[in-house]
Formats: sequence, C-alpha cells, structure tokens
Amino acid sequence: MKKISVLAGLLLLTVCLCSPAFAGEPLDRLKTGVDKVVDILSDPALKGAAKKVERQQKMRAVSDSFFDWRELSRRAAAEHWAKFTPKQQEDFVVAFSELLQKTYIRKLDKYNNEKVSYLKEQIEGNQAFVNTLVAMKDKSIPINYVMIKRDQWLVYDVFVEGVSLVKNYRTQFAKILVKDSPEALIQRIKDKIKALDEGKNVDDSVGKDG
Amino acid sequence: MHTHTRSLLAALVLTLFCSTLALAAPTAAAPASVADDKPVGLVQAVRPPLLLAYGDVDIWDENGRVIQKPAPGEKMSTADAAAETPDPLEGWNRMWFGFNDKLYFWALKPVAQGYSFVIPERPRLWVNNFIHNLGFPVRFVSLMLQGKPDAAAVETSRFIGNTAFGLGGLADVTADLKPYKPIPSTEQDLGLTFGYWGAGNGFYLVWPFIGPSSGRDTVGYAGDYFLDPASYIHPWYWSIAAKGYEKVNEVSLRIGDYETLKDASVDPYEAVRDAYLRMRFKKMND
Repeated sequence: MKKISVLAGLLLLTVCLCSPAFAGEPLDRLKTGVDKVVDILSDPALKGAAKKVERQQKMRAVSDSFFDWRELSRRAAAEHWAKFTPKQQEDFVVAFSELLQKTYIRKLDKYNNEKVSYLKEQIEGNQAFVNTLVAMKDKSIPINYVMIKRDQWLVYDVFVEGVSLVKNYRTQFAKILVKDSPEALIQRIKDKIKALDEGKNVDDSVGKDG
Repeated sequence: MHTHTRSLLAALVLTLFCSTLALAAPTAAAPASVADDKPVGLVQAVRPPLLLAYGDVDIWDENGRVIQKPAPGEKMSTADAAAETPDPLEGWNRMWFGFNDKLYFWALKPVAQGYSFVIPERPRLWVNNFIHNLGFPVRFVSLMLQGKPDAAAVETSRFIGNTAFGLGGLADVTADLKPYKPIPSTEQDLGLTFGYWGAGNGFYLVWPFIGPSSGRDTVGYAGDYFLDPASYIHPWYWSIAAKGYEKVNEVSLRIGDYETLKDASVDPYEAVRDAYLRMRFKKMND
C-alpha cells in the first residue's frame, strides 16, 4: 500500500512538472505555420506564373502572423536599436521585413515537396527553440527556429545550418551603423527593395560596400 | 493504516512542493532582457554594449544547446567568437569576392544551367554521389587525426559499401543505414581538423575561384589537395578539367541559393563572410 501511494505521488509529481511547460505549444504553432505555407505552395489552384501575385500575398499573410518582425529587427539592430527614434524603429521594421519577405518568399516558390521533420522543442520562460530537419534532394538541412510568446508563439530567428538570420544581419547592420545614421540604413534597405522590384539583375548590386 | 496515511501525506507534500518550484522556475529563469524594450535599456546601462550584442540575450546556441552564461572575461558564445574572425585584408578580399561573383554569374551559372538543361537532375545526383564517395580519403584521414576511430570506421564501411554495391559510388546505398551507435558527423576536412585541435581561423580570406576561406582553412585546403584523387589525374589539365566539372555539377544542384543570399542582404560580402564562418564552426563541432 505504501508503494502504491508513493507511486501515485510520483505520478502526480510528473503531471505537475509537465503542465507548466504547456508541452508542444510552440512546436504545434510552428507546424501549423509551415503546413499553411506548404498548402499554399502545393495548392493546384495557385500554381503557375499567372497566380504568382495571389500566391505571394497569401504567403505574406501567413508570415506576418507567424513572425515577430519587431523582435527580429530589434535583435538584428542589437545595441544600435536604442539610437533609433520610435519613428525610425517603425520604418526599419517595415523596410527590413519587406526585404526578407520579398526575397525568401521568392525562394520558397521553388519548394518541391521537401519533407520537414520536427525533432525537438525546448521552452524556457517565454521563449522556445524548435529543431527541424528538412530533407533536400541530396542531403538533409537542419533548420532551427527561436520563438517568443506574445498573444501567440511567434518566430523571431531562424538558424539554417548554424547560420542565424538575425546575427547574419547584425554583422551587416553593425558595419553600416558605426559609420552611418539609422536613416541611412533604412534608406539602403529601401534602395535594395527598389532594385529588386525593378527586376535588376542580382549581379548589378554587388560590391556596394559604402 | 497509520504509516500508510503518513506516506500518502508525505507524497502529497513533496508533490506540492515540487510543483510550486516548477511553476516558479520558468518565471524566475526568464531572462529579463528579452521580455520587452524597457529592460533592454536597463541592461545596456549596466553592461558594455558588446555583451548585449553577443550571447547574453540568447538562451540557446545555433544547435539548441543552452548557452552557459559567460564566465567573467568571456564576452560571447563560441560560435559568435568564430564569426568575429578578423578581416585585415578586407579591401583585397572584397576585390576577389567581386571577381568570384562575376565568375559565378557570367561563367559558372550559365554553364551549369546549360548542363542541367541537358542532363536531368537524377544523373547529376549520381555524379554528386560519385564525387562525394571519391572524397573518402579526406574524410577518413581527418577523422583519424581528430581521434574519432568509430566515425572513421563507419565512413570506411560506407565507402566500401557504396563502391561495391552502389556502382562504384554512383548510388548512395548506405545513406539510410544508421550506425549501431551515434557517431559525430563524418563531413570533415583538414581545416576543420586543425580547428578541432584548437587552432583559430586566424583571419578571413577570399580566394579567387575557391571562394571564402580563412588562414587556417587555406592550410587545410592545401593538405586536402593531396588527399583528393582528382589531384592525381595525369596530365595536369585533365585534373583541372575534372575539378572544374565537379564544380559545375555541384553548382547545377545549388542554383538559386547564392542569389537569394545576395538579394536578401544589404552587404553581400558581410553576409557571405558571416555565413561561411558560422557554417564552418558548426561543421567542426557536429
């Protein structure tokens, strides 16, 4: 009888230990987002060049509801963030997220039924880390996400093969911001977006190192 | 009956105690600096700006391991430190970066596109497997030098298996076979081996044709040359041709990756530099 009560206590203990973690919430949320993207990309009604604009609009809507652009931008600007006026912060978030969406949604258009497996999830306070593996044609690429809990869990950084999106931009931005004002950086991002919109060949814009 | 009640009570108290701890822990452990904008200013006031930029606002590293809070004198995670490799020859490097960029868009990419138009993807993947299989000596020697005999043994059996049963390495028949116990990544070369021994990158360096490298990886690359069977093709121009073909085949499977990175970045040179250093660091520790 004593054994049973200890066992029951241990069982209760495990339940109590697990519950505050809300196990699986960030991972489920991420999975929903990825599934939505995959649905859009593999929807026969949205296939083809004619539907490109509609497809990209839908992708934007999904990414807006799954990314915390402000957190992502704040971390990319790192210690320089404090130098931005609230107006500049706002402009920066808008321009930076526009650049990211433009380029990476275009990249995702090449999606070819690559399979995503969700490996592991860790939760620490209001943040979470999810490891995934994407099976490409000749190798598997680890893609990891860092998420933060707002009203919902939102992604604020993505690691592809050990390269952090936020930190990759942090180095670029830091280099510009030690010399130039936040205004100049925002302008530079806008210029880049404009060049992409005008369909300028990618090889035209190399070497502009300021 | 008496002992029974007591142990039940004890179990209950223990449970309550532990769950309180568990409930309290996440809030206590939540880093104050990431919750919203206000505490960041606070942190910034107390700590030097470099600390905010590197490491201390992150809970996990690139693989999802919890970052040990920096010891006194330590300013960033090891991956961040690797990405901070100095770039004293920046002007020179930028010149060769521009050269390689043009080389890619004007020569390599058109050739690879023409090649992939003629040759379907599947045979190109076979070629890719074949080349990877031939790179066995580099991986084997590196793994042995890193003191990883298990991984070297697995790599050897993959090489034998693919060569014997995969039509000389065209098919990767051993890809789905799991070793009986987990082994470290076998994708190693001499540059990574030196790094594994503790050598730092030294400085960042861009080579024409080869691309991003570092002082350490350049020495490693020179050593790898002697372990690459294609280096021993005679006469020398056939050796170059074989390596050129390897490159074209590889690029044909990766068209679009470099373009995206370049499109998305405000300073492509810095973006490639950071990506190279971080990828190498991850490979070294995998």
